[in-house]
Amino acid sequence: MLSFQSSKNVLSLTEDLLVRIYELLAAESDRKSFRLVCREFRRIDTLTRRHLRVIRIEFLPILLRKYPRLQSLDLSACPHIDDGVVSLLLTRVGPGSNSPILGHWAWGLKSLVLSRATGLRFSGLEMLARACPCLESVDVSYCCGFGDREAAALSSAVGLRELNMDKCLQLTDVGLAKIAVGCSKLEKLSLKWCMEMTDLGIDLLCKKCVDLKYLDVSYLKVTNESLHSIASLLKLEVLGLMACPLIDDVGLQFIERGCPSLKVIDVSRCEGVSSSGLIFVVRGHRNLLELNAGYCLSELSTALLHQMKNLNHLEVIRIDGARISETSFQVISANCKSLVEIGLSKCLGVTNMGIMRLVSACINLRVLNLTCCHSITDAAISAIAYSCRSLVCLKVESCNMITEKGLCQLGSFCLLLEEIDLTDCCGVNDKGLEYLSRCSELSCLKLGLCTNISNKGLSYIGFNCLKIHELDLYRCTGIGDDGLEALSNGCKKLRKLNLSYCNEVSDRGLGYIGRLEELSDLEMRALHKITGVGLEAVAVGCKRLADLDMKHCEKVGDSGFWALAYYSKNLRQINLSYCGISDMALCMVMGNLSRLQEAKLVHLSNCTVEGVELALRACCVRIKKVKLFAPLRFMLSSEILEILHARGCIIRWD
Amino acid sequence: MQDGSVNDLLQASKIQDWDPSAMLNNLSFLGQKIHQLQDLVYLIIGRKGQVLGRPDELLVQQQQLVTADLTSIIVQLISTAGSLLPSVKQTLSAATTSLGQCGEFGGVVFPSSAQGLNDGVQPQNAGGSKVSEPPNSVDITSNNGNEQSNHIIEEHELKDEEDAEEGENLLPGTYEILQLEKEEILAPHTHFCTICGKGFKRDANLRMHMRGHGDEYKTPGALAKPTKESSSEPTIIKRYSCPYAGCKRNKDHKKFQPLKTILCVKNHYKRTHCDKSYICSRCNTKKFSVIADLKTHEKHCGKDKWLCSCGTTFSRKDKLFGHITLFQGHTPAIPSDEIKAAPAGTSDGATNKVGSVNFNLSYVSSESEVQSSSMDIKGGIDDAVGYFSPLSFDTCNFGGFHEFPRPPFDDSESSFAFLLSRSCNYSQKSGEE
Repeated sequence: MLSFQSSKNVLSLTEDLLVRIYELLAAESDRKSFRLVCREFRRIDTLTRRHLRVIRIEFLPILLRKYPRLQSLDLSACPHIDDGVVSLLLTRVGPGSNSPILGHWAWGLKSLVLSRATGLRFSGLEMLARACPCLESVDVSYCCGFGDREAAALSSAVGLRELNMDKCLQLTDVGLAKIAVGCSKLEKLSLKWCMEMTDLGIDLLCKKCVDLKYLDVSYLKVTNESLHSIASLLKLEVLGLMACPLIDDVGLQFIERGCPSLKVIDVSRCEGVSSSGLIFVVRGHRNLLELNAGYCLSELSTALLHQMKNLNHLEVIRIDGARISETSFQVISANCKSLVEIGLSKCLGVTNMGIMRLVSACINLRVLNLTCCHSITDAAISAIAYSCRSLVCLKVESCNMITEKGLCQLGSFCLLLEEIDLTDCCGVNDKGLEYLSRCSELSCLKLGLCTNISNKGLSYIGFNCLKIHELDLYRCTGIGDDGLEALSNGCKKLRKLNLSYCNEVSDRGLGYIGRLEELSDLEMRALHKITGVGLEAVAVGCKRLADLDMKHCEKVGDSGFWALAYYSKNLRQINLSYCGISDMALCMVMGNLSRLQEAKLVHLSNCTVEGVELALRACCVRIKKVKLFAPLRFMLSSEILEILHARGCIIRWD
Repeated sequence: MQDGSVNDLLQASKIQDWDPSAMLNNLSFLGQKIHQLQDLVYLIIGRKGQVLGRPDELLVQQQQLVTADLTSIIVQLISTAGSLLPSVKQTLSAATTSLGQCGEFGGVVFPSSAQGLNDGVQPQNAGGSKVSEPPNSVDITSNNGNEQSNHIIEEHELKDEEDAEEGENLLPGTYEILQLEKEEILAPHTHFCTICGKGFKRDANLRMHMRGHGDEYKTPGALAKPTKESSSEPTIIKRYSCPYAGCKRNKDHKKFQPLKTILCVKNHYKRTHCDKSYICSRCNTKKFSVIADLKTHEKHCGKDKWLCSCGTTFSRKDKLFGHITLFQGHTPAIPSDEIKAAPAGTSDGATNKVGSVNFNLSYVSSESEVQSSSMDIKGGIDDAVGYFSPLSFDTCNFGGFHEFPRPPFDDSESSFAFLLSRSCNYSQKSGEE
């Protein structure tokens, strides 16, 4: 490639070596840096790239032309894709004579994410299904218009193995039958919230798609009949039955005798299921890995406990909301030694002694949810910290008796801790945060309603926990600008931040926030000290900002909103309720932000009806959801309301 | 018209069906009836003058009795003729009207004979469009609610009675085998009222009918099943054989399976060995030999909204799904009218609406690459031009906002952006993540 003399630098690497290097880069940001190095590197990127998530639909034709070897295309961030776009993409990609063969990009495509693509109808889906012969995985979740005809169109993708149809509200048994007959190789299917589905559809599915390994029928009004059909699936490993109100113990009896490969079952929030139903499941499946029975048990009965003794491979158990005795912990810890996760959220009877017994043997625990177990104290936390050295996630929301002593133990032993929820734990103070900051792997920290922490505590976090990407400081009234300064100096990876009701934060603090380039999600309700200057700093600095909630930030003036309109091009959701935005600025924000999908616009005291109307007109082609002041329903022109309706925009009147 | 030709065809087939022996049977039956009536009139003449008290009353009763018998004979005659000779049909309606009047005049109502007559007529009507308004029978039957309800009961009981005793295992010889002749089977009625001569298919219906003739028939004894009374002595179980040679229900068949009741015989014979002459007027495809089957079908005909890709229709979803489970490759079909309606309602409609309110959707871009491709796209498909672009305002007529100058085609994102100073070099290339 290059001449012999100019060896000994990266450019001398051959193409295949560069490809190998490229493939080792896991993070998307690293790959971005890689392709920005030089033309050759960029060429490698275009040749090797397999996955593409498109954010702005206007670049889609170029991107598809640039990356000919795509295997996975994610269009979930482009909700206004529709049949016209699809036909355009498939008929001609790229200009001029040297354009590749029609729809070439689709040939190798294996995975397609079309989540929330409400504009896509059966004709577009049919074109896609025909153009992509290798298609194996499709996600059409939250496509509210996806119905039977769309399912019929999709069923021509015969090689489909994975399909996600969550919340396809129009889908009925007929559509599912189409899929079941057409795509008989299906292995993974999710039907959450497909409310029209009945036993007939599920029965047919189970008879036609015998290779199913994963089936989620959560929230459906299916009955025990469906379980009878499901029990015949020999390869089924994962079964989701969350909140199926018509399923009861009789149905679970079928599962006891069927589904020989079952590994994971979720019956949480099934009103009809009781201990005896779970006994059936447990008795029939000794090799169960995961049992999720949250909010369907009133009590962890001794009979069930007796059966659970046999679950030696159990890794995950969630029994949220149940009453549990100290001896139960003893039984669990003595038998389920491979337990990795236990969920005891809102369980009654969880005591220090119980937890100590549990962790004495279950030393592999990585995830522990003790939300609202109010009687937990430092003693339990210390025991957890001492036994479970590989703890990754700990949720102790509203456990008021935890103090810096417990956190000290966590900081000393649980150095792998990544996520901790300390919301509403008023025992947490600056000293506690100092101890906790020793967990340098921490990525998610929730400190909402911890009123005893101050800037000093936050600065420990900012100094030590450099990997934090989510931080919740909701109503931490002790936090001010200095804390945010420390935070912005250290936690450069911060993506999600909640500053709501931290009254002390001013424009200076938002200036520090503006330094967080990765920030995508910012909630800052009711910050009374901030003005347009602060907002401008955020808008200019946080280029990835996608979700901004600034309800009740009344002092922010138009200059801030203008900056927002100009800089925050990636903004998808915005809450401007109770803000002092003017007509002009509102039009700018709504018209200019080309990716905006959802806006909450109630009680805009400085706006006129005409202003809101114009703003809506400016964004009507792309907005998906808008919340408006109820009296406006009769003041806005019927024309604009019709356009919004025709475009599939949901209006909520408040 | 088409109806006429269908009728002709039916009539032709009906003539072919004409069975002289059946006719003879009916006529001999009528002859008997006339002789009976003759005897009665002789009796009346003979008694004249012998009776002392209340002669007027007796006279009226006698007159009623004779009229009733006569009417019954006329009805039977017409029924016989009507069921065999299609040409009589036109005159029938007139006859029924007069009959109805005649019956009322005589103080006795004859709904069921009219019904029976109607049954005979219906084959000619079934193919045509007139079934919805059966000529006079409706008027007549509605006079008598009691009789109508009986008829309904009959219809329900008719179904599957033939198969009801399928599982029965009576040892040969433990029951008496009766075999009705074909004519008997096809005769419309088997039970006749001794007072008015009205015919019934069942004895139970006759007993219900008798209540109308006086209080003596309303006693529990009169209404009870006559066989029940003699149940004290062991009765021989009766089973029936089909007269059709070679039929499994025929007593000479190797694996003979007897029929339980006369009704079973009738339905079996009609369903299995007779032409299916009743055609559903709605779908014009389904044929039946038992009128009750046709009526049952008509209740559901047209409701078969569950369609399979193979063309088979089902009235119930579970039946369709059972069918699909059974046959490989079959899928439920989605009605085509919905498909036609849909594309107009979705994106196209939306675009039109947007267009109608003075919005100019245009594809604009600052990146030359995009621009060139956009031009290409424009040349290609007009419809899709607006899809990639945020809109730019063209003409806005809102109060106070018309001072927004119209943007030239230079701006990439929106017409508003030009109002802002472009001091920041915000990269617009980050179209990917």
